[in-house]
Amino acid sequence: MSEKATAVSIRIGSIFVLIGVWYLFAKLMADVEVLPGPLAIAHAIWGVLIEPGPEGKSAYFHVGITLGRTFITFGVAMVLGIAIGLTMGLRKVIEYSMMSLIPLALTMPTILMVFLAVMWFGFNEIGSLVAVVGVVTPYVAVNIFQGAQAMDKSVIDMARVFRADKKMLIRKVYIPQLLPYIFSAFRFAFGMTWKIVALAETFGIKYGIGYMFFFWFEQFNMELVLAWIIMFVILMLILEHGVFARLEHAAFKWRPANKLQT
Amino acid sequence: MPTDKNNGHGNTVVDVQKLTKKFPDPMTGEEFVVLDAISLSVEKGKFASIVGPSGCGKSTLLNIIAGIETHDPSDGGTLDVYSDSEVAEPRVGYVFQNARLLNWLTVEDNMIFALESQGISKDLWRERVDKYLEMVGLEGQQKNYPLNLSGGMQQRVAIARALAIEPDILLMDEPFSHLDEITARKMRFDLMEILMRANPTILFITHDLGEAVFLADNIYMMSTKPARIFKQIEVDVPRPRKPEDPKIFDLEKELVREFFSVLDAQELEDG
Repeated sequence: MSEKATAVSIRIGSIFVLIGVWYLFAKLMADVEVLPGPLAIAHAIWGVLIEPGPEGKSAYFHVGITLGRTFITFGVAMVLGIAIGLTMGLRKVIEYSMMSLIPLALTMPTILMVFLAVMWFGFNEIGSLVAVVGVVTPYVAVNIFQGAQAMDKSVIDMARVFRADKKMLIRKVYIPQLLPYIFSAFRFAFGMTWKIVALAETFGIKYGIGYMFFFWFEQFNMELVLAWIIMFVILMLILEHGVFARLEHAAFKWRPANKLQT
Repeated sequence: MPTDKNNGHGNTVVDVQKLTKKFPDPMTGEEFVVLDAISLSVEKGKFASIVGPSGCGKSTLLNIIAGIETHDPSDGGTLDVYSDSEVAEPRVGYVFQNARLLNWLTVEDNMIFALESQGISKDLWRERVDKYLEMVGLEGQQKNYPLNLSGGMQQRVAIARALAIEPDILLMDEPFSHLDEITARKMRFDLMEILMRANPTILFITHDLGEAVFLADNIYMMSTKPARIFKQIEVDVPRPRKPEDPKIFDLEKELVREFFSVLDAQELEDG
């Protein structure tokens, strides 16, 4: 077997081992109220997928709501973070002031930030947006700022010698150098965003996957809580690895194959 | 910034008169002189070379001519770069010590970056890219990425990029100093071929006297701290030249001797 095939089979195998351990624990515990077994959960997921849930809302409705919230708040947080990071790189005043403010935001426990955001701005779309921006934007800004500092000054001088205008500089010189930083911020920020959105929904924002965790938790229905959690994790794994990893690969095709990291 | 005046400059492309550049010392704030009353001129179609020890301020001079470093007129001296055309700003091509390519763009897009920056009509891009890539010996590499090329080939792309804008003056700052000697030697021969085919106007900086004597039509010899030009000579040997040509070889030996006598005298002076 090739090394790659071995790696893939170990990765798939370890998931089956986890399911096996889960199965054993569920058997030993023998309490479906607390830990239902894998088969019961698989059955529950199937039920959620084909039948409408509470208030006649289907699973697809909730998934759509959560994805919508995730993408919109993520977009806002990324754009703000990139803008702040770039201005930090360009203006010393912004750099110094942000350097004292950002650590405050980064040190704050995420769960408290979400809690405060929904308390102050309400259990609605604004609350979840503030929560995501509060947690994700400072992180993105720091990452982009580091990218701006690491930019190669020698190619910027080259561009000036050949009289590249601002537009050319930004498109062909600045952005490509920032792209690795934008992508690493992108992946990490996306992971944070959907967790925060789910958390905010769990705190009580109407509808969405997190709302369903909370709904079934209040009904003491562990089977459906776990079913929703597993669906959520699978969905986000598909997005992160299936979509973003491919985008990143396409953006960095100029790197020689031996330096490619995925 | 270089200015352009089209009247009465004859064949002169670059005209530097008594140019002085001072830098403030970062520690003391005191000003010290980097370039001391430098005068030189480059004629159209000629290859001029400045030879001097490393760190003597040669690159500073080139950067001032290129417009990426400023020259304070109150320090003294003038700098003019003349364009062939009546209307356009003079075109300046630059080949740096290292290639300074945009690694995320293909070879041809790197060249197009310079063409587009210079406002050269899109209709000419294809022709210019193909012509100058062929001239530096990289035909067929249009779609390749720089990081797939060797250091020497990357420097060839940098030369093709600078030639493609068909500059009024091509500035070259020790372009072969980061290459191994065998590659550098090959590149010098190929540059001489290019001189004979395209006849660009070049101002070339080097610390290698042999390189200067082999390539240049005239040589300015520069001393260090502050940089001063202490001698100008012409190399009256037709191209193609051979490094083992006795005339070239003797001239190099003579210049080396002269250089050491000036540098030694300077050291005695400095104590």
